[in-house]
This record gives sequence, structure tokens and C-alpha cells, in this order.
Amino acid sequence: MNVTVFNGITSVIMEVVFALIPLVLFFLIAQVFFLRLPWKKVTDIIKGIFLAFIGLTLFLQGVHVGFEPAGTMMGEVLGSMDNKWILIPIGFVLGFVATIAEPAIRILNHEVDKVSGGYIPQNVLLYTLCIGVGFSIALAMLRLLAGIPIVWLVLPGYVIALIMMQFTSPTFTSVAFDAGGVATGPMTVTFIMAVALGVGEVLPGRDPMIDSFGMIALVALAPIISVLTLGLLYAWKERRND
Amino acid sequence: MQNVRETISEVVQAVLPVTLIVILLQFTIIWLPMEDFLQFIVGVVFVSAGLIFFLLGVHIGLLPIGELIGSALPRMGKVWLIVLISFILGFVVTVAEPDVRVLANYVDSVSDGEVNRNLLIYTVALGLAIFVGLAVLRIIFDIPIKYLLTGGYLLIFTLAFFVPEQFISISFDAGGVTTGPLAVPFILAYGIGVAAVLGGRKSSDSGFGLVALASIGPVLAVLILGIIYG
Repeated sequence: MNVTVFNGITSVIMEVVFALIPLVLFFLIAQVFFLRLPWKKVTDIIKGIFLAFIGLTLFLQGVHVGFEPAGTMMGEVLGSMDNKWILIPIGFVLGFVATIAEPAIRILNHEVDKVSGGYIPQNVLLYTLCIGVGFSIALAMLRLLAGIPIVWLVLPGYVIALIMMQFTSPTFTSVAFDAGGVATGPMTVTFIMAVALGVGEVLPGRDPMIDSFGMIALVALAPIISVLTLGLLYAWKERRND
Repeated sequence: MQNVRETISEVVQAVLPVTLIVILLQFTIIWLPMEDFLQFIVGVVFVSAGLIFFLLGVHIGLLPIGELIGSALPRMGKVWLIVLISFILGFVVTVAEPDVRVLANYVDSVSDGEVNRNLLIYTVALGLAIFVGLAVLRIIFDIPIKYLLTGGYLLIFTLAFFVPEQFISISFDAGGVTTGPLAVPFILAYGIGVAAVLGGRKSSDSGFGLVALASIGPVLAVLILGIIYG
């Protein structure tokens, strides 16, 4: 049994050093010129930066030795099966469960609650989002299997969002567009993306560069359209009440 | 200590459901060799532990930087200085964003190094920085977000016609990864300071929309990179 754990860790450490240097430099310059924080506060911040350094190193190492190779291999297996269509329901399930416990959604829940005066129950928002993200990843898999250019899906997606925007209140619009980030959780960008890359490698006539990437964009669209849909329902209810 | 426990439970909740489904798939239809499957488990452990440390670090050290610089802005007064600082912060935060790094690493390895990892990261960071600067200007001049979003997307879809196919998918993905665990909370923490400086304006929703605008910049930047490459 030959499991690799620390392969290539030095280059990961170097990467993380270069990732954090600009932020640290900017903080030091700001500290000297205008922040002038007390020493105690500065040591706290340095501790935080150190933790972030350790964390980012472990995270990227985990993707490098774990999710990237294993995810790609799983994608290759799924992409070479006889029933490739099974990728579509698998994509749906992965997207659904990747979102169900996503902590960022709690904050979004709170915001939607505020702008809708409690009209939209929290579970409705949660399940709308889970179905939305599940649908997005299923669509990404369908696109990969059928070779549909990403613009054909993203363009109508944003056109629909821009049209829906005309019929919802500006506050809902702001919340909806800011919600784009909640669905791209840690598993989507790292693991599910690697699976899609693996599928793209083995499918004849597909280039992962063109057909596998684009999934994150579809996932980012899901919360926008989900929240706008709820915004439309809310506007409709308001009008009926008048 | 409360913070530590909360962070651990947040990360476990975000990682566990997908992990369970993958384990289920492994022993029903995928059947990877055990060795390779264990790499997945190594990934789960490292990514979870890494996220826990990273999020704690963000709360203890990185968010306070955003907040403190934001709240030091009133002492400066000058609008150009605020826009400049917003620009620099947008840049340095994106360079440290984990999701941006993961996407750039994947693109680098899928393209066999043809699209260089660092070049992509700096392009995304520049795009985000310019749009954070614009988002601050929007608040100053009170421009409705609808116009900026519509204009931004029109520009994106116009440019998309002139970009080599290899760059289109990664451009759109670049807009999704800037909303990872660091950039958005950081910009929001900083934005509170900005809103305080520019207060007095009717800006009940001026903090809103920052994230949306910030994800347009990277898409445009990578599209332009694609035009330069092609």
C-alpha cells in the first residue's frame, strides 16, 4: 500500500508564502504610515496570519495529493462507463448535498428573511438553493457529455436573471447577486471540479479545458436565479394583497 | 474557544455530506483501487483541517486588517486615496484566496502549463481590484447597481465573441472562485468602513452589490488575457 501524503509539500509551502506576502506587506506599510496599532493588536494579527498560513498549506496539499488525483480518477471511471448518462443524476446529488449544510447559506437566509419580512420560510430558501445547485452540476455534466459551449448556457442564464431583475424589488436584486458566492463551497471548486476534469479527459472529442471548466460559473448562477425566483413570488404576493 | 468549536462544526458540515456520497459511490459503482481511494480520504482530512486553521486565521488576523483599514479611512478624507486603497486590498486579498489558487492550479495542469498559474492568479486579482475600486466609486456617485451589472454583463458577452474557446470556460469560472472563504468576508468587513466614510448619502443598500460587481471584474480580466494570448 503506497499512500502519498507529503509529496511536493515544499512547493506548496512556497506557493503559500507568495500568496500571503502581498497582504502582509500591505498591512505592515499601513501599520507604519497610518494604522499605528498597539503592539498587542499587532501580535494578534500575526498569530492569525500564521494560522492562515498553516491552514492554506494543508488545504492546498490536500487538494494536490488527495482531491485532484482521486477526483480525476473517479471522473475517468464514470466517463468510461457504458451508461455515461448516470453522470447527470450523480451530478445532481453531489450538488444537492454540497449545498445542504453550507454555512454561508445561514447568512443568506437571514438577509432574505429581512427583505421579505419573513414571508419566505428558511427551509424554502434552503431547498430552492440545493435544487438549484444540484440542477447546475447536472447541467454541467450534460454539457460535458453533449459538448454544449458554455456561452449557450451562461448567456441565457444571465439574460433570464436580468429580465427577472426588472420585476423584483432592488433589495431582492442586491441580495440575489451577492448570493452568487454561497453555493461555490469548498467541495465544489476542489473535488467536484476534479471529477468533471477526469470525465473530460476520457470522453472522446472533449477537451477538459473547454468542456469541463465552466461548471463553477453554472453553480454560481444557481443562487442568483433561485433568490430572484423567490423575489418574484414575493412581489406577486404583495400585488395580490393590494 | 466557542469560535474554534463553531468553525470545526461548520467545516465538518460542509465537507461530510459530499464525502459520504462519494464513499457510497466508491463501493457501488466506481471501485477505485483501495490505494487511490485512500488518497481521497487523505484529501478529506487535509482539506478539512486546512479550512479549519485557515478560517480561524481569517477571523483572528485577516478580517481585522480589513476592518481596521476600513475604519482608518475617515482620517484620510481624500476620495482618490480611498479608491486606491480599495484597489490594493482587492488585489492582495485575491492573491491569497484559496479557491482562486485551486482553479489556477487545475488550469495550469490541464493546459500543461500553457496557461501559467501565477499569470492567471494575478490577472484575476487585477480584475477584482479594478472592480472593487469601481464599486466604491459607485457608492460615491450613487450609481444604481442595475446599470453596472447590465453594462458589465453586456461587455462580457461582447468580448466572449473575440476570445479563443480555451479561455471562455475558465473566464466564467474565474468569476465564481473569487467568492471563496477569504475575499468576500474581507471585502464586506472593509466595506463597513467605506460606508461609514461615505455615510450621509442615501445608501441603505450600498454595501450590497459589492460581491456581484467583484465577480464581473475577474471574468472580464481573463477574457482580455485570452484575447492577448490568441
